[in-house]
Amino acid sequence: MSAEQTVEGARMPAHTKDIKPGIDWRGRALDRAPFLVACLMLALIVAIYGSLQSGVFTLDELNLDTAAAMTLMLAATGQTIVLLRGGIDLSIGGMISLGTVIAATRFTDDPSTTAFWALTILALGFLIGALNGLLISLLKLQPFLVTLATWSILNGVAMIILPTDGGSVPSWWVGFASAQLLGLTSPVWMLLALLLFWWWFRATRVGITIQASGSNEKSAFLSGVSITRVNILTYGLSGLFAAGAALFLITQTGAGSPTIGKDYILPSVAAAVIGGVSLFGGRGHLAGTLIGAFVLTLIGNLVFVLHVSSYWQPVASGIILLLSVLASSVAEKAARNRVQ
Amino acid sequence: MDLVTVNGLSKRYGGIVALSEAAFSARAGEVHALLGENGAGKSTFIQILSGAVRHDGGSILVDGQDYRPANPDAAQARGIAAVFQELSLIPDLSVEQNIWFRHEPRTLLGTVNRAEMRRRTLALLERYDFPALRPEQELRRLTLAERQIVEIAKGLAKDPRILILDEATSALPAREAEWLLKLTRQLAGEGRLVIFISHRMAEVRAIADRLTIFRNGSTVAAHEAKAVSDDEIVTQMIGRHLDRLYPERMPTMTDRIALKVGNLASGSRLSGVDFSLREGEVLGVGGLQGHGQRELFQALFGATKASGTIELWGKPAAIGNPRQALTGKDGIALVPEDRRGQGLLLTKSVRENLTLSVIKRFTENGLLSRQKEAALVKEMVDFLRIKAGTPEQLAGTLSGGNQQKVIFGKMLLTQARVLLLYDPTRGVDVGTKGEIFQLMRDLAAKGYAILFHSSDMPELVHVADRVLVMRNGRIAATLEGDHISEEEILRAAMLETRAA
Amino acid sequence: MSAFLARNRLIVLAYAGMVVLLLVTAMFSPGFLSVSNMRSTVVLAAFVGIVALGQTFVIIGGGIDLSVPWVLNSAAIVMALLCGGQDLPLAWVMPLLLAGGAFIGLVNGIGVAQFGVPPIIMTLATNVILQGLILVLTGGSPTPSAPALIQFLSVGRIGGFPVIALIWLALTLVATLLLSKAAFGRHLYALGTSATVAEFSGVPTARTTILTYVASGLTAAFAGMLLTGYSGQAYLGMGDAYLFTSIAAVAIGGASILGGSGHYLGTVAGALVLTILTGLLPALNLSSGALLVVYGAVILITVSIGSETFAGLGGRIRGRRA
Repeated sequence: MSAEQTVEGARMPAHTKDIKPGIDWRGRALDRAPFLVACLMLALIVAIYGSLQSGVFTLDELNLDTAAAMTLMLAATGQTIVLLRGGIDLSIGGMISLGTVIAATRFTDDPSTTAFWALTILALGFLIGALNGLLISLLKLQPFLVTLATWSILNGVAMIILPTDGGSVPSWWVGFASAQLLGLTSPVWMLLALLLFWWWFRATRVGITIQASGSNEKSAFLSGVSITRVNILTYGLSGLFAAGAALFLITQTGAGSPTIGKDYILPSVAAAVIGGVSLFGGRGHLAGTLIGAFVLTLIGNLVFVLHVSSYWQPVASGIILLLSVLASSVAEKAARNRVQ
Repeated sequence: MDLVTVNGLSKRYGGIVALSEAAFSARAGEVHALLGENGAGKSTFIQILSGAVRHDGGSILVDGQDYRPANPDAAQARGIAAVFQELSLIPDLSVEQNIWFRHEPRTLLGTVNRAEMRRRTLALLERYDFPALRPEQELRRLTLAERQIVEIAKGLAKDPRILILDEATSALPAREAEWLLKLTRQLAGEGRLVIFISHRMAEVRAIADRLTIFRNGSTVAAHEAKAVSDDEIVTQMIGRHLDRLYPERMPTMTDRIALKVGNLASGSRLSGVDFSLREGEVLGVGGLQGHGQRELFQALFGATKASGTIELWGKPAAIGNPRQALTGKDGIALVPEDRRGQGLLLTKSVRENLTLSVIKRFTENGLLSRQKEAALVKEMVDFLRIKAGTPEQLAGTLSGGNQQKVIFGKMLLTQARVLLLYDPTRGVDVGTKGEIFQLMRDLAAKGYAILFHSSDMPELVHVADRVLVMRNGRIAATLEGDHISEEEILRAAMLETRAA
Repeated sequence: MSAFLARNRLIVLAYAGMVVLLLVTAMFSPGFLSVSNMRSTVVLAAFVGIVALGQTFVIIGGGIDLSVPWVLNSAAIVMALLCGGQDLPLAWVMPLLLAGGAFIGLVNGIGVAQFGVPPIIMTLATNVILQGLILVLTGGSPTPSAPALIQFLSVGRIGGFPVIALIWLALTLVATLLLSKAAFGRHLYALGTSATVAEFSGVPTARTTILTYVASGLTAAFAGMLLTGYSGQAYLGMGDAYLFTSIAAVAIGGASILGGSGHYLGTVAGALVLTILTGLLPALNLSSGALLVVYGAVILITVSIGSETFAGLGGRIRGRRA
């Protein structure tokens, strides 16, 4: 009694070796729809910007805009890893503030002291992040709440160290942001480095495990993944990137601020979402996040060039955010309808 | 020489004894079947063997050495892998990424060696003549059957000496199920031990060399498959004679049509069905898994969008969502497939669960009346004999059978007289199963109209007045009276030509 | 009685914690337990409590409302602008702005319930859009001071009781009735526990979700107007702090951030705890930075206590598989 029918009722090749090679273009396009929408948005914004302002398609512009966006990009990179895991990290706001504050009060003209403190800030970022991950696993608490609490704590510590904006950063540190190599400033090279990092990270077992844990935590657990270790690493990396964001931020501001970090929390999530990273975990590429960060940063330029009140910037950001979520959910539904 | 020897194995979860004095032995090169009712201890047993759970007492020897794995990784190191019913697959990874998850071949940079992974995947799939799988396809695009196959590949990729298959065929259509049975013999031929759990006697007969029977947390017998009859097996499994499981069929059907369905279609799985359900009738829906049964029930309840016409008690009904379905006496209620995910609020009390759909019935002047609610709760707890300490007990702590009763109670309180029951006895202990069957007949006698689906064919045969057999989203055959038998159902479910 | 305590263990703990906190503060600052001090604590807590009322509903339902800051700010600023310091316009301005807050809530609710936008994103977007729109409207310049009537509601007294405390009490009664004694509450708890099960049980899930966000918009707008009365003026950013405190109050009150459990009575305790902590500031000579650290620690401690009780429960539920 062997029937030719399979569950779908259609005739399928019986064995793997009988499958004709070929790529499901439509399916893959639908999967990447949010990312493609983000690319389109960026293209549109750049086009409008370019038509209203001269000198937009030059290296100078690239250098400038990347520098303006890099702090957000670094913060959003950490957030992307956390989102991939299916969590969220609100504490990066506190870490960024704390990072700038420590730097502004401890950096000196002496390179070795500064290097020491820079490394300390990075280590601190990782360790505090790891602590977040540990608390989430051990106490079985929701990431939202844990990172909300640690954000408050880090924010508080930053305010204790430096109650108001101030401090100073050596000029050579600030100058790092404008250092050039082959006509491209360091932020642009950092951008490339981030992409390279991501390409490598996602191909390692660790990266795949983090993605898997976000895609379906139960399955990952059943497959033997140590969720505690995954959480520690995920949030540790997020803290590390937040610390990195702080170190870059001071090249732009030249001072420390105990409150500046909170302006990066929700935009880091927004940049990722605009770029197609799923809030539910398991899907997303850093390229999308970086495009999202560019989109959010360039809206400011666009608003300026259009000679409208700068208050339209948050409005535009909000609308773009909603549009990309709606685009993803439409694509998601279309993809689901093609599968049983 | 035995590969695995188990003696006196025991495991408790709080006050519940899952296993006590379980014994087992099996050799390499053998296919060994585990039989037993749900709740008999088979699942706990294999969870212990595969390292997912640690046992309390007793000993396990693998290759003569003591075996007490701390986790599945440790079990794997000793060559034991399990393919569970509860899939451990990652939706956003590809088929091959899932197969080699955590054991991917790597390059010097620490990244996954994609070419090597592809090579190994194709080699594995070819060696065991796997049904069609595209290695690069994202898992979320696969059907349940295909995912089960990937899960099997994942188990095999670990090159285990002992492979445990837990109800692996239940999600597979006929051709793939056959392939799996052949696979077990191939694996045994390679000198491995395959431990095989199944409820399907025919399969067990086809491949098992030996079998062990579980009941109530212990092993009651172990036999050479050739040396024992089906009847003996079943008797040892349930500890009593089969026939008393099913209630006597009484003529309860009247001429009134309770539910009339015209050209109901939904999505890609339900292509168009027409049928009528009478007052007092118990109408079964059968057929192979995945041929539209689930979609039919969900469409009738309004849980998914559908086209076509539905008439309840002679009047057209617009059922766009479950709220519109549960409209009281002329409504239609569903006891859903997924008890824990669709039927019960596990962290809420029995009381809150029971009364969730009928809050209007105990609301006075906009405020809830505790007394009225308590009365409704008592009515159902008594009627269904729900075993819970108090109605405040959390639904998640009840046994499967009692959880099912709570869901029944919730739907019965809505007073809807057309009941949709989707696999109501799955995962329910044998005692409660009998109660549920009796309940169905009692309700039919009271004038309810019942449409029920079961993945267990004997149930359909023994309980239903008529059986609709579905194939490819349509009704392939309607069986009545003497025509209701397992062969007829299978024939209608699988062959091309059959008058509807 | 013991059954009641057992079921509402977390709320009881929150109040117990509050009492302990009061005593500790009193130890460091003897004048703390004076009537006038208690009165001002309750007044300050009322603002948090009112904003957190809507947030409580949203969180129990499984969502979150991040648009609270700018709904609050908008109501405050627009009220000040439209009233121009006069009492009379309040008659139409107040209902208008409450409707406005409800409208924003409606938009949030529809986005979440009908379009499936994750609550974090939806409410974040509306917050930011509202911010831009209001700033465009006002150009960021200062607004006239608050009408006297609103000031009375916020700082005035009736028979020795602060009016706002009475308002808060009334709202607490309404919230408690809705959650414990009305169909809405049952629907909400079911929805927050499992939207799928709620749907399959005939609960009006979309409607319930939308109502929670409407409630949140209403309470945020109301709080915005009252706050303007309290400080005499509307200023930019007055609502920002209330996002954190509203969520913290709900969490300290024992609600699960995932939804399905909690009660407004717990949030009330949470609001009081947070306000008393702020009172510790001058008492212990703490800087505002140290206060933030304390806030964070308190949240961590209270939610881990709540989580442990559920961890034990999880074990019991899991134990039933054979």
